[in-house]
Amino acid sequence: MKRMLSIAVVAMMIAACGGGTTTSTAPSTGASAPASAEASASASAAASESAAPQLCKAASPAEATFTFWTFVDRHATWWQKRADEWNAANPDKQVTLNCSVIAYQQMHDNLAAAFTAGSGAPNIVDIEIGKFANFTKGTIHLADMTAEVQPYVKDLVATRLAPYQADGKQYAVDYHLGAVLAYYNKDILDAAKVDPASIKTWDDYIAAGKKVQEAKSDVAFAAVDINGVIPIRSLMLEAGGGVYDQGGNLIMNSEANVKALQLASKMVNDDKIAIPAPGGNNGQPDFFAAMQAGKVASVWMPQWYMTRFPDNMDSLCGHMVIEPMPTFAGSSNTTTMQGGTGTAVTDQTPADKVQLAKDFVTWAKLTKEGQTSIWTDLGFDPYRNDVYDDPALKKPDPCFSNQITFDIIKSELSGVAPEYTGPAYPQAQDYMANTLINDVIVNKVDPKEALDTAQQTIESQQ
Amino acid sequence: MQRARSFVFGSKLAPYVFVAPFLIIFIAFRVVPTIYAGLISLDKFQGTDDLGFVGLQNYQKVFSNPALGKAFNNTLFYTLGTLLILIPIPLLLAVLLDSGRVVKETVFRVALFLPALTSLVVVSVIFRIVLSKDGLLNVGLAEAGLPSNAWLESASLAVPSMIIVAAWRWTGVNIIYFSSGLVNVPRDLYEAAAIDGASAWRTFRSITLPMIQPTVLFVLVLSIIGGFQLFVEPYLLWPFGNSPGNGGLSVALLIYRTAFNNFNFGQASAIGVLLALLILIVSIIQFRLFGGRRFER
Repeated sequence: MKRMLSIAVVAMMIAACGGGTTTSTAPSTGASAPASAEASASASAAASESAAPQLCKAASPAEATFTFWTFVDRHATWWQKRADEWNAANPDKQVTLNCSVIAYQQMHDNLAAAFTAGSGAPNIVDIEIGKFANFTKGTIHLADMTAEVQPYVKDLVATRLAPYQADGKQYAVDYHLGAVLAYYNKDILDAAKVDPASIKTWDDYIAAGKKVQEAKSDVAFAAVDINGVIPIRSLMLEAGGGVYDQGGNLIMNSEANVKALQLASKMVNDDKIAIPAPGGNNGQPDFFAAMQAGKVASVWMPQWYMTRFPDNMDSLCGHMVIEPMPTFAGSSNTTTMQGGTGTAVTDQTPADKVQLAKDFVTWAKLTKEGQTSIWTDLGFDPYRNDVYDDPALKKPDPCFSNQITFDIIKSELSGVAPEYTGPAYPQAQDYMANTLINDVIVNKVDPKEALDTAQQTIESQQ
Repeated sequence: MQRARSFVFGSKLAPYVFVAPFLIIFIAFRVVPTIYAGLISLDKFQGTDDLGFVGLQNYQKVFSNPALGKAFNNTLFYTLGTLLILIPIPLLLAVLLDSGRVVKETVFRVALFLPALTSLVVVSVIFRIVLSKDGLLNVGLAEAGLPSNAWLESASLAVPSMIIVAAWRWTGVNIIYFSSGLVNVPRDLYEAAAIDGASAWRTFRSITLPMIQPTVLFVLVLSIIGGFQLFVEPYLLWPFGNSPGNGGLSVALLIYRTAFNNFNFGQASAIGVLLALLILIVSIIQFRLFGGRRFER
């Protein structure tokens, strides 16, 4: 009796520990999709896989079932919506998506392992721009989408396709443009009698900064990330530089980059209108607290940074205003693009389904409806020109003083400086975050010297 | 059937049968990957493609990376720092708790041990907030009239920040180790010392310390190996492990970054081999220096 009882207890313990992920392939109803999206995609710092097949519903009868990996819950929900719309429009070519939302680093690690092993990779996958170049080194395990993207190119801001190309072929398509904007705390600028719309160049920006800091001594006009790369890299790209050039050469120590870093160093160390971002970068709780307390008056970040205000700094809603990114005097670049995630089709998709996958992915993202829903459903800036006149993009934003965001972005579209990626792009990004920016801004190393060291160090590791 | 059973469970074969599961797992998941890593440290990788043998090229490239020296420096300072704090203090606390002079000493034991039970991820996330400029630590220092610091934003304070986290976390564990060593010290030695009029300090120096020497060695070895394998704290205290000026970069984090950020698997394996050699050498030295001594009985 005792023996049976102990065996039963052990069996129950094993069952309790071993349970967890369901491995259903195509659940028939997805009524609980939103709830399970919240439950399963908790976006915690821990690297954990949450397989959530109930996020995506089955189509019946399905022509193909595709597994999809992403690291953002909102993306998964968006893809399900697009899959439904595809199925409605293509009754003879229905698709079913099985979505998994996996934490950022873990997902890319898993993808690399799956490619090395030759199995276990999803059919469709989101790859973040900072990691993308790793997957175009050596054998490329992604499907070539050049032909599928071609018909859409004339309607797109074509430079947005650049980061996801290798050897002239297109391997992924992005969600958004990521145009860089300047965000100003209207109250602080009004009190100093500075009109944000009058700030056109970086010289104007510095002058405005001095005026604001004179009016109120405990305010820093701007904050620059030290262990984040976006503000500094935006300057580099807008100046005409960046990490790579169009020809695939590493250009860390180019003239343009030197000019950009000199400007950043000048703003922090000479003119003293900018401080290192509290907490190290503008995604940290320290920074949000400082911004909300009115200790920092402005930042320059991509359009997607807008969501940080209602999400993390909601007391500033109604007090913020967006303007175009300041420019370098005499340059035709009005802004640049930062961040991004490309969706690709992998070579572990059955050969007879690859065409369908590619058609679906490009249709979902690059059509007018797709690009419009990038804004309405995901809150990102589209990169298709005809979408900018759609009424959905003309709604005033209450968080940002009822401005129409896209009118501002549209005014920048004439000179969006492109960003190119290459094999050392992830490494360069890390180097900037842990060494270069710290050297130039905090340790006041001469920008040319720091960039020469960067170029040398990164090249020697290839 | 009976003959098969008695063969398998007979005294000749039985030991191997019982050890086999552990051995298989150990060989498959420890020995084979170690040998494989050693082999691929000599290969050139392009992405996930192994392009073949290139001799010591990976080692050359690794040595020319300034981050390598920084990583080893940081790891060594971190290990030294944790040794200086996490051996004497838990030892003294364990002696105090064991002395019977503390009222409700179980409460203290539990309270000191609780940090070790928390998930390292949770600890790092919380300490990111505690160590921020307006965080708990700076507030506490300000109350005590001491200057506050930018713990996580300064290159020179990165290792001290990690040592603070380690001190909070591992004190309790080391107290447990030392306590179990202290429990094995025969009580009559203490009685004899008391009769001879020895002071508390003399008793500690001449009886306690020599008697728990094996325990101290054990804790020392564990702490050194743990220190060299430092990864989670630097990875989570800073976004993607990028500490300012690489002030918090550890060797294990450099290996991870080289492999999974830069996709340089050959170079990452080379750094891994170097770390393994370092730990091996240090362990051999430790055992030669401390393991050979025998105490008087």
